[in-house]
Amino acid sequence: MAPSPALLLTLPAFLLTAALAVFLTASLRLLALLPSRRPHPPKRSPGTPTRLLVVLGSGGHTAEMLALLRTLDPQKYTHRTYVVSSGDSFSAERAMEFEKLVGLKAAGRERDGRVAGERGQGLTGEGGAGVGSYDIAIVPRARRIHQSLLSTPWSALRCLWSCFAVLRAPSAALSLPKCSGAASIYGYPDLILTNGPATAVIVILASLILRFFGVGGANARDKMRTIYVESWARVTRLSLSGKLLVKVVDRFLVQWEGLEGVGGRGEFFGVLV
Amino acid sequence: MSHDENKRPRKLCFVTIGATASFDSLISACLEPRFLETLSSAGYSDLLVQYGKDGKALFDKLVAEAEKLKQLGVAIQGFDFNRQGLTEEMRVAKGGPGDSEGVVISHAGSGTILAALRMDVPLIVVPNPDLLDNHQAELAEALEDQGYVVYGRLNNLSAAIAGSEKLRKSHKVWPPVNSGQHRRAKGLAGVMDEEVGFLD
Repeated sequence: MAPSPALLLTLPAFLLTAALAVFLTASLRLLALLPSRRPHPPKRSPGTPTRLLVVLGSGGHTAEMLALLRTLDPQKYTHRTYVVSSGDSFSAERAMEFEKLVGLKAAGRERDGRVAGERGQGLTGEGGAGVGSYDIAIVPRARRIHQSLLSTPWSALRCLWSCFAVLRAPSAALSLPKCSGAASIYGYPDLILTNGPATAVIVILASLILRFFGVGGANARDKMRTIYVESWARVTRLSLSGKLLVKVVDRFLVQWEGLEGVGGRGEFFGVLV
Repeated sequence: MSHDENKRPRKLCFVTIGATASFDSLISACLEPRFLETLSSAGYSDLLVQYGKDGKALFDKLVAEAEKLKQLGVAIQGFDFNRQGLTEEMRVAKGGPGDSEGVVISHAGSGTILAALRMDVPLIVVPNPDLLDNHQAELAEALEDQGYVVYGRLNNLSAAIAGSEKLRKSHKVWPPVNSGQHRRAKGLAGVMDEEVGFLD
């Protein structure tokens, strides 16, 4: 016996309505993720634990990123997570070297502060100028050089999957100092800083997916804010990563005047490296 | 062996092709007889070539061919790569007490360019024409326009040596001062603080 004509009509109508509803909700949610719609972050008082996530890439990207960070204040950005691709021991070593320097500088500041205090000039600063903590998170490579385009989606997906975990909390195994307990203090990064390696695109995509679904308060206005700094090597045209990310990151910085205003977003404050 | 070169102060020309890609045409260009003659007449005592992991055979062959140019007094040495970075080599090129300031000739990788600019040693940048994306050439051009480097051409590296002597005289210090038109400059640290809400 054939189904009644009424049922034949209702089922597609129902499916269509459902699909439309999902589509509309998703679009609205997506729009809300866009940087132009994102509310400003609330004021953050000094001393608030703050997690900065830095994406490192192959040689040139890593060198530039660490140059960008040379004025990093560890008393503001109390925990740093460095995301490194598996097999990229160069970047991991550079990150550890960089942190050693951050520690030395903080020790120097503390010493200076004490000397000034003994002379009775002003404040000695908070006792024990903290250097905070850091961890190095290793994710599978999004795409190897010369990897076939066919297998790229698979490796990119594996990378994306591990980025979720990296974003959720600092990795306990690779946190320094060992006793910091950073994994329990910090959740999502407050700020994600990247400059162009392929991994950066995946990390930002992972953060957008988490915000889209609001996993664990991922879309709070003071969580996972993103800054992209286009490589200093890009004078007149954006890199592929830059083109992909120019509309979705909260801030987009360029280092050559010719790129100011690119994509309606590019901010130019001179050379940053 | 040691005739006149010991009397001259050390002056190093350091050539680096980087770690990522091979750059045979630069290795060849810096070992051409004409280029070695240019170095010699510009007072150079040493040529050091970082030739990469694939460059040794070519380097050895060309050095053997240059044997007859020994009387030029330019000592040639090479190595594949230094994992610790090239700071030490650049420092020697920069010179010091008793040594003359030399020059760095580099592929157009941004990391190497920055390192040389920070070391404040005259720099010749030679973009690799074999690389698909030529944004490196744009960087070299822009930096030459601003007077920070000499854009070196593979077919006439000798001309670049003359250019680098001019660079040594004009001596423009990196980084550019963020003043005047970029008064808004707050640097990356300022933008980071804005984004997380550290407002003073």
